[in-house]
Amino acid sequence: MDRKLRIGVVVGTTLAVLAPLLLVVWQSLLTGPFFARGVTLSGRAFLFVFSDGDFWSALANSSLVAAGMTLIATPVGAMLAFLLTRTDLPGRRWIEPLILAPMFISSLVLAFGFVVAFGPVGVVSLWARDLFGVVPWNLYSMPSLILIAGLTHVPHVYLYASSALRNLGSDVEEAARSTGAGPLRVALTISLPMIRPSLLYASVLVFFLGFELFGLPLVLADPQGRLVLATYLYKLTNILGVPSYQLMAVVVLVIVAIALPLVFLQRKLLAAADRYVSVKGKATNPKPISIGAWRWPAVAFICAWLLFTVICPVLALVLRAFVSSWGEGVNPLAMLTLDNFRQVAAYPSLVRGVVNTLLIASVGGAAAVCLYALISLAAHRWRSGWATLLDYVVLLPRAMPGIIAGLAVFWVFLFFPPLQPFRATLLSLWAAYTLVWMAYGMRLVSASLLQIGPELEEAGRVTGGGPARVSFDITLPLVKAGLVGAWLLIFVTFLREYSTGVYLLSPGTEVIGSLLVSQWATGAVDIVVALSTINIAMVLGGLFLIALFQRKARNG
Amino acid sequence: MLRFFSSLCLTLSLGLAACAPAATSVDHAAHKGDDLVRAARAEGTLSIYANTDASEVAAVLDAFKVRYPGIAIDYADQNSTELYSRFIAETAAHQGTADLVWSSAMDLQIKLINDGYAQSYVSAEKGAIPDWAVWKDQGYGVTAEPIVIAYNKRLLSPDRAPHSHAELRRMLEADPQAFEAKIGTYDPERSGVGFLYYSQDRLASAESMDLYRAIGAASPKLYTSTGALMERVASGEHLIAYNMIGSYALERQHKDPSLGVIFPSDYTLVMSRIAFVAADARHPNAAKLFLDFLLSRQGQELLAKRSLQPVRTDLNGGGVQRPAVDAARPIEVGPALLANLDEMRRLRLLMDWRDAIHGR
Repeated sequence: MDRKLRIGVVVGTTLAVLAPLLLVVWQSLLTGPFFARGVTLSGRAFLFVFSDGDFWSALANSSLVAAGMTLIATPVGAMLAFLLTRTDLPGRRWIEPLILAPMFISSLVLAFGFVVAFGPVGVVSLWARDLFGVVPWNLYSMPSLILIAGLTHVPHVYLYASSALRNLGSDVEEAARSTGAGPLRVALTISLPMIRPSLLYASVLVFFLGFELFGLPLVLADPQGRLVLATYLYKLTNILGVPSYQLMAVVVLVIVAIALPLVFLQRKLLAAADRYVSVKGKATNPKPISIGAWRWPAVAFICAWLLFTVICPVLALVLRAFVSSWGEGVNPLAMLTLDNFRQVAAYPSLVRGVVNTLLIASVGGAAAVCLYALISLAAHRWRSGWATLLDYVVLLPRAMPGIIAGLAVFWVFLFFPPLQPFRATLLSLWAAYTLVWMAYGMRLVSASLLQIGPELEEAGRVTGGGPARVSFDITLPLVKAGLVGAWLLIFVTFLREYSTGVYLLSPGTEVIGSLLVSQWATGAVDIVVALSTINIAMVLGGLFLIALFQRKARNG
Repeated sequence: MLRFFSSLCLTLSLGLAACAPAATSVDHAAHKGDDLVRAARAEGTLSIYANTDASEVAAVLDAFKVRYPGIAIDYADQNSTELYSRFIAETAAHQGTADLVWSSAMDLQIKLINDGYAQSYVSAEKGAIPDWAVWKDQGYGVTAEPIVIAYNKRLLSPDRAPHSHAELRRMLEADPQAFEAKIGTYDPERSGVGFLYYSQDRLASAESMDLYRAIGAASPKLYTSTGALMERVASGEHLIAYNMIGSYALERQHKDPSLGVIFPSDYTLVMSRIAFVAADARHPNAAKLFLDFLLSRQGQELLAKRSLQPVRTDLNGGGVQRPAVDAARPIEVGPALLANLDEMRRLRLLMDWRDAIHGR
């Protein structure tokens, strides 16, 4: 790409990200909705939030959860990545897609699954009570929340760590093995340190996601009166009777303020990314390390994790979808019914919801990946202030909780005349999704880009190729597999996204995620569980595709 | 598939329409009514924002379409806060918004009417609606839903269950340990309806704060979502849901008979889903026609079939349970609700509530 095009892409991205964000900044300084008559500039919103004890306790809880889940997710995710990509672990090809599962089930649904499985009268809890006399755990405690948040975010770390590990030449590992190092030592002293940038990036992202956590604390901590920042937003929509956007905007700015130093830290850590280039212009064929007797404990560890974070809650949820009643004193097997699904079938907007969800995930997901690739290419190997700017910009949307990002995008489409005709179309929804998942998708794409040795591109340039020619003939074909992989991941991510679309929901643009949120609030749990089961089936289909794709990529 | 569903819906709705009494009061709204129908047909479409599940009102929508063919309905169900946010933003942007707004967040609806977001319309059905349910010929309460005590019959036998607010209080005071973490209710700080029912409790009874203190002593769990609250009572995690919306509890009871529903005998709050025609409606006639239909015998009977108690008093309840007439305390559709949105008053009431719940 030439300089002009690069700057154009950076400026365009910046505008798209900053428009909703600046709206939020502006909103925080007003006394009422920015579009209302008679609002004035004022710092009252800041004063109100900063003098509210609940805000500080929510901030403290969020920090605790974010730190705790990072400490759990990073080592577990890194170890899983090492085991599955670098060793001869039995059954690893089938385990892999399952590992990603918690990431693709909306956390609201997963949390509800945890209640049905491990809640005070959950299926597993009652069974444990019969066994031990008491339920040996309390699902609604703070440690439980941190543990569940940590374990369900393992896939985020796994994803970044495994894609980096896969691209690592195995020569160094083999050297270490031949001098007598055990597999654990190889992992801890060679493989994982080599992918340090990816691991750091992932842990910063997880830490950050901790501040944005919504579904899990809403279901698991909320009834106890334990707030985190995102559920504190809920309180702010109601405390003054009418939704107080200015107060919500202040909280969003606090989260952005937490995000910025994190991005700065990340850049510092990544400064010498060149050290980590590992796909060079020579063929490598990584060989798996044999872990011998460690195989079975490793498999048992992975299965236990899967059982707790995926299988139990999902099975509990599916069970709930097929019964009319459950809990203490109920034999669920006597309550089997298909009524919940019949109810969904009679639900008028369901068919549209399913079709739209598939459409936004497949076509919309592909368009999003193309956009992410374009933006990544613009900043690729470009030492310039513009590239630095871009790094900060792409993480900003993630700093807004999905529901607020959706509201801000709704405002932009509503009040910015050129966009007005598209407001009630899937395009507005696509814009919101693409924006919210930008940091995640960009990283998927740029991770592949960074692994391409610069000498390949230099070779193209030396032989007379212009910047565009190099991008399209050398860089892109080399990352093609990475792009398809990114598309599949974005596909499942868009399938399960729920809070972002809430304000953009209108007749014709229903998606399953947003329908779930509105049904959850109004009380139709039967419909929620049936819709979730359908959604999970779709996600499983997507994961199956990922497994097939990876198998094909490996064989060819 | 799509065709199958729509023909199924059509068959169902035709069947329902045929069951309903043939002569509804819409019929005798003479010429004026015919003009309205013509004008509504000319508009051809109607946008409704509501927080009642589309599945709950599917029969009403279908019956309306059968009765007035040629008027397409866009029915968007969302929660009351989103509904409010969208409606005011869209109105401010003049980009077209709902023609009819229908929500159970009574205080927000009254605020919108008070702020000039509604237009006046004397419904053809006004005569059949109690006075408390109409304000300024703009806001119409469409339902009369009791606020109830729901409980788990498997774990709390019906003869032990409390039948009034006073009984509930006595029961909790006698043995708070037995109800430790076993009571769920809405959180007035985070849920609009929670605040509404709490503030109405205070108006209805001088002893309400004693009840809240008794609830507080049992470490209650506080919810923002009706679904979550009901699920936890049905599963037995909680024994009692206090101030549950009766229509949801009764509808759930159809499927799960182990859920008990009590209309408190000392007083039963009655809330209403308020509808108004938007001042900026692009299809005002279709909206008026639909409002009439919601309030008509046929519309009300179809709502009653889904446990949404009718506001009309000239129906026999439509087969759905209702509280005793002398115990019913309807929340008046009117300006008194505006006091709920006064910042100082609201924060003070919430502080009282906190003190009571945390035993201070």
